[in-house]
Order: sequence, then C-alpha cells, then structure tokens
Amino acid sequence: MGTSDSIDEMVETKLYRAKPGWLSAAIAALGGAGIHVLAPKREADRRDGSARIDLAPVTSAEQVDQDFVNVGLPLKSIYFPPTQSLLDYAAVEGGDVRIDEATESVEETVVLGCRPCDAAAVALLDSLFRWDYDDVYYRTRRERTTLVSWACTAPDGQCFCTSVGGSPHGERGSDVLAFLTDDGGALLEVHSVKGERFVERLRDAVEPAGGDAERPTPPDVPERFNTEPIRRWLENNFEDDSWKEVALRCLGCGACSYLCPTCHCFDIVDESTWNRGTRRRNWDSCAFALFTLHASGHNPRADQTARWRQRVMHKFRYFPDRFGDVACVGCGRCVRRCGAGQNLVRILQGIEQRA
Amino acid sequence: MSAAVDSIREVAATALSEGTVGVFIGYGRDGDTGRATPVFARTPEDAADLIFDATCLGNLAVYLARPEVRSLGRPGVLVKGCDLRSVNVLFRENVIDREDVYLVGVRCPGVGEPAADKCGPCKVRDPAGCDVVVGDPVETDSAGAETKYEAAAAIEALSLEDRWAYWQEQFGKCIRCYACRQACPLCYCKRCIVEKSQPQWVETSPHVRGNLAWHAARAFHLTGRCVGCGECERACPVDIPLGAINQKLAKLVEEWFGFESGFQPDEEAPFTTWSADDPEVGIL
Repeated sequence: MGTSDSIDEMVETKLYRAKPGWLSAAIAALGGAGIHVLAPKREADRRDGSARIDLAPVTSAEQVDQDFVNVGLPLKSIYFPPTQSLLDYAAVEGGDVRIDEATESVEETVVLGCRPCDAAAVALLDSLFRWDYDDVYYRTRRERTTLVSWACTAPDGQCFCTSVGGSPHGERGSDVLAFLTDDGGALLEVHSVKGERFVERLRDAVEPAGGDAERPTPPDVPERFNTEPIRRWLENNFEDDSWKEVALRCLGCGACSYLCPTCHCFDIVDESTWNRGTRRRNWDSCAFALFTLHASGHNPRADQTARWRQRVMHKFRYFPDRFGDVACVGCGRCVRRCGAGQNLVRILQGIEQRA
Repeated sequence: MSAAVDSIREVAATALSEGTVGVFIGYGRDGDTGRATPVFARTPEDAADLIFDATCLGNLAVYLARPEVRSLGRPGVLVKGCDLRSVNVLFRENVIDREDVYLVGVRCPGVGEPAADKCGPCKVRDPAGCDVVVGDPVETDSAGAETKYEAAAAIEALSLEDRWAYWQEQFGKCIRCYACRQACPLCYCKRCIVEKSQPQWVETSPHVRGNLAWHAARAFHLTGRCVGCGECERACPVDIPLGAINQKLAKLVEEWFGFESGFQPDEEAPFTTWSADDPEVGIL
C-alpha cells in the first residue's frame, strides 16, 4: 500500500482496553501536561438542521461529539493550515533586509476522534511533503501531533474508502486506532511510539487487552469502482470528449480541493506594508481559473474542462505514478459539499465503464 | 409538482428537436445522493431525465455566463422565480441578451426541506417574462413578506461590539474557496478584484483581515444587484451566513432608494444607472 514511509516510528501493534470514562481521563491528563487537545465538537446547526462538527480545542469529554460520520475540515488543516506565515521580513538601515523565520510556535497536540480515512491521508501527504524538499513547516507540526483515530461505525452513502484501498477500520496513519464501545470504553490499537506515549498518559484508565481481544466487524462500505482500470483509461484518454461533458456543471470554486484530505497545492504570497511584511503559504486549487496562468498571459488550462481533467488525472494517475498511492481516501466530502452537485464517484464509475 | 415535470420534459424536448436551443439547462437526479443536480440536455432524449421538485435548490442562471456552456449553443434554462430575478440582472447588465436565451419558468411553492428562508417572502412564485411557464398555480404567502430581512435583522439587534465579534468568528472560518463567488450568477467578472495582483487590492490569505476585505468587497459589488437567491450561503463549505450580509445591503437599498433588484429586466438600479438628473447626494 504505497511507498510512503511513516514520519513516525512504528511499533508492533499492541492492544489495550480503555475503561469507561477513558476519554475524560485522557483529556484531563493531556490538558494537565499542557498538551493541546482537538476533538470533534458540535459547532452549530446548519439551516437544514444538520450539525456542523469540526475538530476544535476541548477541555472536557462533555464537549466531544461522538455521533457523526466525519468532521468538516480534514486533518491537513493542522499540518498544512489554510494560511501559514513562513517568515517575516523588514528593511533595516543600510539597505539590508532582516528575515525572521519560524514566526509561528507549534504546540504539542493530540487529536482524539479523527476518522481512518483522514489519518490515511496524512500518511499519503507525508510522501509529498518530503519529496523534493523536506518541508520543515509541515514536518514540525506533524512531529508534534498524535492521531488517535476512531474506527467508523456508521459510514454514510457517500463514503467510499474501500474503493481506494482504505477501510472504516484502517489503521494507516493512526498512532492509535480506537474502537469505541457502547459502555463508554474502547479497544485501543497502538501502532507507533507516539501512540504508546499517549496510552502511558492514560495510566489506570487502560490496561493491556486480554488475548481474546479482537476488533469488531467493520461496517459495510461497498466498493464503488476499481482504480486500476481507471488509471489505465486515464493513461490513454487525455483528449477524450467526455472531459467536457463531466466538467460542465463544475463552477470552478475550490471547495472540493480545500475539503479534500489529500489535496495539497499552495500559493506563496508576500504581504507587505511599505518596508516590512510577511511571506505566507496559502491553500490554492487547480480548479481556479488563474491557477496555471503564466506571466506571459498564456494559460495551459484555460477552461474548466482542462481543469477538471487535471483534478482527476492528478489524483488517479499522476500521484499514483509518482508515489504509489491514489491521492484520494474516499472520505466523500467532495460529493457531499459540492454546491453544483458534481459527483466524483459517478464520474469515475463512468470512466471504468468505458475502460 | 409532477405536472410541472411532464411539461418541462416536453418543452425542453421540443425546444431541442426544433433547434430553438442547443442546450437546455435543467435539473436531474443524482442517484447516489438523492440531490438535484444541474444537467445539460443536448438531445430530446436527454430531456427525459429532467426533474423538478423541492430538492431543486440550485440557481441554474449561473451557467448562462459560463463560456463552456455557451459554447454548446443557444441556451434554454429552467428558472424558478428567484432564478429569474438573477437572469433579469444579467439582462440589464448585458451579460446575455434576451433573445439569446430561452426561458422556461416554473411555478414554485418553495424548495428545500425545511423550506429555504428565501421562499416564505417570495413574490415571484409565478415567474413573469419567460417564453413558457409551466406548473400548477401557486399562491403568494402574504405573511411571508415580513421575514424578508429576518437574517439581517437578527444581527442588527446585536451591539456593535457583538456584531464585530460575530463576524470575526464567522470570517475566521473562511478558507477562501470562493464557492460563494463561483455559485453567484452575478459574480461573472472574468478577472475578479481579488485576482488582480498589480497591486494586490485584496489580500488573498484566509486570515480574518483578508477574509473581511474579501467579503466586504464582494458585498459592495453586489449592492443593488443581489437578488437573494441564497446560493452563496448554500455553497459555502464552512457554513458562513453570507445571506445575512447581502440581505443587510438589500435592506438599505430598499430603504434609501426604494429599489429591489431583479423584478424587471429593464429596471434602473441605483449604482449602475447613469442619469444627467442624478441629484448626486453624498458627492461633495
């Protein structure tokens, strides 16, 4: 499953039983140690009555929501935030420039309650952010964050992790994979040194699981498509007429890219005031009209057809060619939130039918 | 609304087979999500997939300014009253000429479950000015008009400090995906102000400062134009109540200029009409 090697030190899987109330114990222990805790929190209700749930700082277990498919923003917003200061600069006397790096401090963080798909995406992004440049901005946050994923119990109709090599019980990218039980306890699968350190903090709230401990049956996530025939079709059909058809409804916003756990394109800007400023890295999207605009005025992806094609090609052909992973974890956010009703899964199914 | 569906399919199929339109923009059903999604019928057979019911939330007028759609030929489009209002603004701003589009209006009692906020106050449930109108007669909700500016009023009721805190929190969520802009039928500029970099008038970074600048710029550019179709708010992936901002400005425009946008294709809007008799109140 891919060529990315984890940024974390992996260990042989160990199982623990967390007692009812372990979540409170965990939050208290982490908070007491000055560690930042992020967990799914119900932020507000939308007009249609559905809940908006996002990873947010929590100080008690009562604040944590457990009844959700997935949170709004993916984990990349921790390691690769929507906007990030890279350095500050200022003109100084004599015509020189003073540069101030590492302008943001990064706290030790534990995420409680991310989903297996989002954790798998992080493992995938690791290969990208260490590819031709070891991205210190990404790596610092990554090293200081522990992921305690919650295995899925109720995926919805738009989840498709199993079509892209994942699973509602997938452990990839997780330091700990927790199987929550109805009594408020959990079975904890520890996969890394960071995971072991997390479990150590729980003290009496956990004990090693007995030899009979085993994972529950995963919920069913039907396979919707097969990536291999799709990849072969993509290799041979860059100019196919179907690209125009499927791109018609796309309005070229960045919602799918920004909500996607694996999308990672960015723009670097300097924001200056007279004689000083900040260099920032911001999210960017290949769906935007100006994404590939050259200084000459030429734009090689001048219409939404070419831009939509790029999205599919990058995720299901170029990224796998380079890194061995399809750049999609099947979280379903793009399908759920596209304002124009674009459905990537149906488009891929259409491609597979033609392959 | 099934009577409307049969009519829509018939009208679209006829328009396509007779060459009245090269593409008919309507709603189809996404079998996975159950949602209504824009479809671009090209043949009479495609028209059989068209639907219309309370799930048809999208404003299809947004596609009238998309070159990829216009390249398919003369467009026909299904419009609810709210959608038609935005088409009227496109007409008065010369984005598309009346004779270059085939308008099929559909009588609409409201969409969304629960019904969208814009539906209660709607005065155009029976859209006028289309080539064809389909659907059973619907009544206007006379009490609905009172809720027209409800979202804006809720925020006006806050103190200035609370209002500032509220919008800082909301704009703290903004990730600058521009779904609000792309979903809006009236944001059709080929080069948006935020995409101009010499100089960079509006900071592109999604910090609160940049986001405030972006949303203020967009709101100002929509003043006297926005028809309250709600697509910006529906498209926002982080659920910012964008409709309230546009509502506030629409409320001011109605109070100060007695004008509501989009009810007539030839209306004279306050900020886009030149007149030698302009009293130029406020210009020194």
